Amino acid sequence: MFLLELSVKDWWQDLKDTFILNFITDDRYMYLVRGLGVTFAVTIGATLLGVLLGVIIALVRSTHDKNVHDMRPGVGRIILIILNKIANIYLTVIRGTPMVVQLMIAYFVIFVSVSQHKIFVAILAFGINSGAYVAEIIRSGIMSIDPGQFEAGRSLGFNYAQTMMYIIIPQAFKNVLPALANEFIVLIKETSVSGYIGLQDLTKGGDVIRSRTFTAFMPLIAVAIIYLVIVLFFTRLVGILERRLRNSER
Amino acid sequence: MSADPLISVKNLKKHYNDGSIKALDDVSIDINKGEVVVIIGPSGSGKSTLLRSLNLLEIPTSGTILFDGTSVTDQKTDINKLRQRMGMVFQHFNLFPHLTILDNMTLGPRKLLKMPKAEAENNARELLKKVALEARAGDYPSQLSGGQKQRIAIVRALAMKPDVLLFDEPTSALDPEMVGEVLDVMKALAKDGMTMVVVTHEIGFAKEVGDRVVFMDNGKIVAEILPEEILKPTNNERLNTFLAKVL
Ligand SMILES: Nc1ncnc2c1ncn2[C@@H]1O[C@H](COP(=O)(O)OP(=O)(O)O)[C@@H](O)[C@H]1O
Ligand SMILES: [Mg+2]
Repeated sequence: MFLLELSVKDWWQDLKDTFILNFITDDRYMYLVRGLGVTFAVTIGATLLGVLLGVIIALVRSTHDKNVHDMRPGVGRIILIILNKIANIYLTVIRGTPMVVQLMIAYFVIFVSVSQHKIFVAILAFGINSGAYVAEIIRSGIMSIDPGQFEAGRSLGFNYAQTMMYIIIPQAFKNVLPALANEFIVLIKETSVSGYIGLQDLTKGGDVIRSRTFTAFMPLIAVAIIYLVIVLFFTRLVGILERRLRNSER
Repeated sequence: MSADPLISVKNLKKHYNDGSIKALDDVSIDINKGEVVVIIGPSGSGKSTLLRSLNLLEIPTSGTILFDGTSVTDQKTDINKLRQRMGMVFQHFNLFPHLTILDNMTLGPRKLLKMPKAEAENNARELLKKVALEARAGDYPSQLSGGQKQRIAIVRALAMKPDVLLFDEPTSALDPEMVGEVLDVMKALAKDGMTMVVVTHEIGFAKEVGDRVVFMDNGKIVAEILPEEILKPTNNERLNTFLAKVL
């Protein structure tokens, strides 16, 4: 009885000591706080870039698929075909190679001249990657809009671009908003490989603590818990968003 | 001396599958200002294709369409400018679900006619009064019944102040009890002198407000009849069978 009490007490003391060693001593918790800031900066920046790229790629692809067959031969048609080819190559390469490899190529090969701005490079790499997935989300959103909407716009006298901008894109965007929010959640986790280019995101922050304190359990579990809490929080938010959108349909 | 027709269609053809399907097979028709032309005919006879060719939603294989003297099919024509003057009402309404009724009606006038917001909204409210829906200006399309949606679709087209309205089976998707309210709006428009081309199965409407009734079959206009003759037997067997079926 006494022995057991002692060992529980020991265990508790031990836990407290490692906690203090990993997070309090030298303000080590700041690695996680700063890392979390970096994780959010990269995720938000990449999401914005991804949506921008995704909309452009989606517009190129759906415009091509919808119109190229009955377009008059000419410069416009050739440009559209070339743009569509570029879009397809982009999608194939991005979706066919691992994110970490893309990140390292971005950092060590393509953006060497700005390599001191690691966050910037990471936003570009993750944004370009995310754009490929966002493009397909938006494209499915555009394709899901009733063709009658497009015809109604054109019959009023809107040209193709105006019809897209005022009528199709707003509806498509609304339809895929939950999917886009999920892409944001996926990105939060994906950016955990930022350490490969020496960027101190949340994961790397935990890893730095581990290398300082030579204890792995506390910092890594802490990192996992933080990711989990964030992901659960945003998943809840997406759920609420989905319900709101559904209700506004009626 | 008769004025030039508002719309003049000559030898219009629309082929699919390299000509194995002839949706339009050499159609010619003139539509005069202020006229209500009703197009009837069995399903698949080319009514929609003809109507949708008028504003180039379908691109004809050959033939010409003049609208107020301008060639619709000419590649140099700015079709978007012409479409502003040709309103279209669809079977399935095609209201913009992400916009309120008022915004549905003001989008075109504001963005295309560069009308100031206040003016566009005033016009829209005036039109809403005419179809007794002024109280619904702030609602979304999903909050309306089918008949109400179609009335909004009509005034949305009217908000552009078009020279002609094209109707493609405007009452076919409606519950029977809502057909009347839509037809009443169309009748009032006809009375006001609006030029209208109406594809419909509503023979009563054709008889009451049509100036001419055009019967299509197999991509061709096979008969043109005066509305008052619509119930009399004709020498066209296909037309007689068709009328016997829809009446
Ligand atoms: N995209 C298309 N491809 C092939 N055939 C078509 C297409 N659109 C219409 N058609 C054919 O053209 C004919 C006329 O169609 P339509 O004008 O819609 O007839 P209606 O409106 O009188 O019912 C029909 O036989 C239809 O099957
Ligand atoms: Mg039809």
